[in-house]
Amino acid sequence: MNWLRELARRIRMLANRRQFEVDLEEEMRLHLELRQQDQIKSGMSTDDAQAAARRRFGNVTSLRERSNMAWGWEWLEHLTQDVRFGFRILSKNLGVTFVIVLTLALGVGANTAIFGLVNGILLQRLPVPAPEQIAALVIQSGESSLGALGFSYPQFVEFREQTAPICEVFGSATAWRLNFTAEGHSDTLTIGGVSSNYFSALGVKPALGRLVLPGEGEHPGEQAVVVLSYAFWQRRFSGDPQVIGKQVRVGGKPATIVGVMEKEFRGQFSIFEMDAYAPLSTVFDESSASNFWNSRDIHLMLVLGRLRPGVTLAQAQSRFDVVSRRLAAQYPVTDKDLNVRVMDERLSRPIPYANNAFIMFSGLFVILGALVLLLACTNIANILMARASVRQREMAIRAALGGARSRLLRQMLTESMLTALLGGIAGETLGASLSYLASSTHLSNIPVRLGFGFDWRVFVYALVAVIFTAISAGLSPALRATRADVNTVLHQGGRADAGGKARHKVRSDLMAAQVAGSLMLLIVAGLFVRSLRAVERMDIGFDPNQLLNVTLDPSLDNYTRIQTNEFYRSLETKVRALPGIQSVSLAASVPMGNTLGNQSVYVEGRPVPSGQRAPGAFFNDVDPPYFDTLRIRIILGRAFTDADSETAPLVAVVNETMARHFWPGEDPIGKRFSLISDAGPFVEIVGVARDGKYRILAEDPQPYFYVPLTQHFTAQRTVQIRSSMPPGLLAPLVQHEIQALNASDSIEEIQTMKESLGGTLGYFIFRLGASLAAAMGLLGLLLAIVGVYGVVSYAATQRTQELGVRMALGASPRQILALLLRQGAQLVAAGLLFGLVGAWALTRAMSHMLVGVSPSDPLTYLSVAGLLSFITLLACWIPARRAMRIDPMVALRYE
Amino acid sequence: MVRSLELHRDEIPPGTLYLLILKTLGRSGELHGYEIANSIQLISEDVLQVEEGSLYPALQRMLIKGWVTAKWGTTAGNRRARYYQLTVAGRKRLAVEMSQFERVIGAITRVIEAV
Repeated sequence: MNWLRELARRIRMLANRRQFEVDLEEEMRLHLELRQQDQIKSGMSTDDAQAAARRRFGNVTSLRERSNMAWGWEWLEHLTQDVRFGFRILSKNLGVTFVIVLTLALGVGANTAIFGLVNGILLQRLPVPAPEQIAALVIQSGESSLGALGFSYPQFVEFREQTAPICEVFGSATAWRLNFTAEGHSDTLTIGGVSSNYFSALGVKPALGRLVLPGEGEHPGEQAVVVLSYAFWQRRFSGDPQVIGKQVRVGGKPATIVGVMEKEFRGQFSIFEMDAYAPLSTVFDESSASNFWNSRDIHLMLVLGRLRPGVTLAQAQSRFDVVSRRLAAQYPVTDKDLNVRVMDERLSRPIPYANNAFIMFSGLFVILGALVLLLACTNIANILMARASVRQREMAIRAALGGARSRLLRQMLTESMLTALLGGIAGETLGASLSYLASSTHLSNIPVRLGFGFDWRVFVYALVAVIFTAISAGLSPALRATRADVNTVLHQGGRADAGGKARHKVRSDLMAAQVAGSLMLLIVAGLFVRSLRAVERMDIGFDPNQLLNVTLDPSLDNYTRIQTNEFYRSLETKVRALPGIQSVSLAASVPMGNTLGNQSVYVEGRPVPSGQRAPGAFFNDVDPPYFDTLRIRIILGRAFTDADSETAPLVAVVNETMARHFWPGEDPIGKRFSLISDAGPFVEIVGVARDGKYRILAEDPQPYFYVPLTQHFTAQRTVQIRSSMPPGLLAPLVQHEIQALNASDSIEEIQTMKESLGGTLGYFIFRLGASLAAAMGLLGLLLAIVGVYGVVSYAATQRTQELGVRMALGASPRQILALLLRQGAQLVAAGLLFGLVGAWALTRAMSHMLVGVSPSDPLTYLSVAGLLSFITLLACWIPARRAMRIDPMVALRYE
Repeated sequence: MVRSLELHRDEIPPGTLYLLILKTLGRSGELHGYEIANSIQLISEDVLQVEEGSLYPALQRMLIKGWVTAKWGTTAGNRRARYYQLTVAGRKRLAVEMSQFERVIGAITRVIEAV
């Protein structure tokens, strides 16, 4: 423990530093005086004695320093000196400091925000005990356009039973829009329908009441209960503890609130927030989705597993492989190629579709963020470089007075570190508040939560960014400034730039790099924006303008089939009487919204070989005016009419792709297929409708068909209203009519078609990408403008004298302007060239994120390059014009 | 030149300053800096010259190591002075330094005499 006592002594000394210095001073003075007295006694003159005493003592200042250094605190003293001096320099150049701090704040802010989001969405583990044991179980399947699917409930149960020794399998099927009524007011909620062991396996705790209990809710028809999320409880019930035991309606059925989830747990998906949780039996009853409990084709369960302690992913994988093979043998039709992948839960984010592009997407944005930071660094390096040349004089003199180069360097670096820290703090605050804002914004009709985890990872990331900036931007100017030779500098007169050509070269390179970097950012932004435009302009097969969607489910009010039909008929009549209505229709499914399941298609006369599955197609139940209301063109045959009644022959309208796919080269009208079996009953095709988008915007054309609502009953329907009135204004009127029919509880959702298309299956992800990329692009552009302007105007000032001479020798202002502009233009051109190459390389990774535009889209590249060169040349032109107006006499006397 | 008027003195061998200070303090008890310098010079009969000022950084280092303690007192001439005194650790150190020194000197002597 010797070193401990030593450390204690050192710290005591640090605390009494003043006293220490005074003591040492006194001690040394005493020594010198006593020596002097002794010398005088031995016969020296007073002056000689003093000199001799000093000589024998040695260099007092250096000895004092050495005594001080003995305590090992000199680094601290130097640091405080440097910091104090640094602050003085910074406050003396407030303008420059402000620009640097602001630049950094933007750079670090953008990075913190992006990394904060990526961290929250991809890196942080679930907020549950022992999260490293949680694995995602994903069914691999090549056939779906969305990649892998979830499990069907029977598959889920089999895996849960058969892998129990190594893993506790649990999962949930999310009801994305479920009506929740309490105290006479309805909300549309995202409710996680959870397996009975879901919460016990996760190990989460209720904030209030209880969660779903083991064994609860895996048989249809059980008593319905619901657990509120903490956020929804706060939002909707103001955190009232009395909600426990309250009777509410979930999906129209009476249910009891039994608990509130703890605050930290917001659902198993890192970007979707659950408003509430309920047992599976509360979300799926026998009537609404009878298939859920029995069908092996309805893949709604997204499944996780908690590995038993000590079990590795590989061990779990081999166990799941065994079970998969067993099930494939047992159910050859449905489970033939069953293949379950066991993976780190974080790799399955944001949703466990095997080929999701999200990781690439975040990677791209982290790179873009780094690019912004690099641009910021370049700017700062430029500013520091300019300042370094001003300070070369100071440095040279200090070096001449005995300042060691390392000490001067350290001081310069301390200065840039200080600035970087200031900018870093500003940036982290900016970034943290940005992404906090993003994560706490509740988007009313999209259950998306941009998770923001400000934890050590984000902090370290930003810190590394700051240190990187300080060193990369500060080192080279510092090296240059301290390299100055006092002789050269002092002989140079007022113009303190001893670096001359070499220095300007570096600054020019930096400027070109800046143009290149911002071009890359802008091209990525341009591609995303073009992709969004393409998606928005994309032919989705119907006209979404001026449409209002009202989704209802009268079965929630316990209507019978006849009552339901009657209800819709009277509602349609009432709505038609509202002002400005052009067309009203009913449909079971809304494109890019709630979709009906995949339906097997058995083509008449072409029996499905045994052991094979019938091909599938998605479909919709619609009424006769539907095609008019949505403006879907019928290109062959006819649409439905009132004659296609319940008792009339079964009919269908198919889309172009379905007609081509199932009856290539034939006239599809009059052809028949069955939804049930090879033996019928058959429906006859009476018309062909234009292709459109049905489930997600990015999908390829796919087979789709329509059947009349009269012949294929569903209780849940969406009333679609086309009117000349803005649909937002129409909504309350329609709501009023529904109230008049005493059916308020049936309302699931009222949305304009435009709003509905803005959802997660629609434009949302494209808009998010485009606006994020555009923000980064603008930031990059801003930094580039500041950088180019700075370099050119600095160069112009540095060359004042030269320009004056040129003018005195007869150069016209126009020639001066051309001279400066030409040099600027060369740099911009070089930057553009590198930028184009860089952008081309960077955008290779983007092909999966873009729709309707190629990652090497020449139009984007050229227009962005054109725009950037225009703006940067403008940034050259302004300082160049100023230089042009130099009065030669003033310029010559400049120094 | 002033320097030529002075007696020629030998610089102390490097690393022995601690030993000299420890030994001096060990012999005399409490001493202040000037007394230590004088004492070393006197006993070595003016052969060993300490750059007097370098005593002070050395004393600081010894304070840190805990070999000596210091307290303020008054000199015979009624001046305030800092008096240094060996600690227990200092005494142990003295023994260590002594034996090290003797070993080295012994070895050097043997090498020289072998010639």
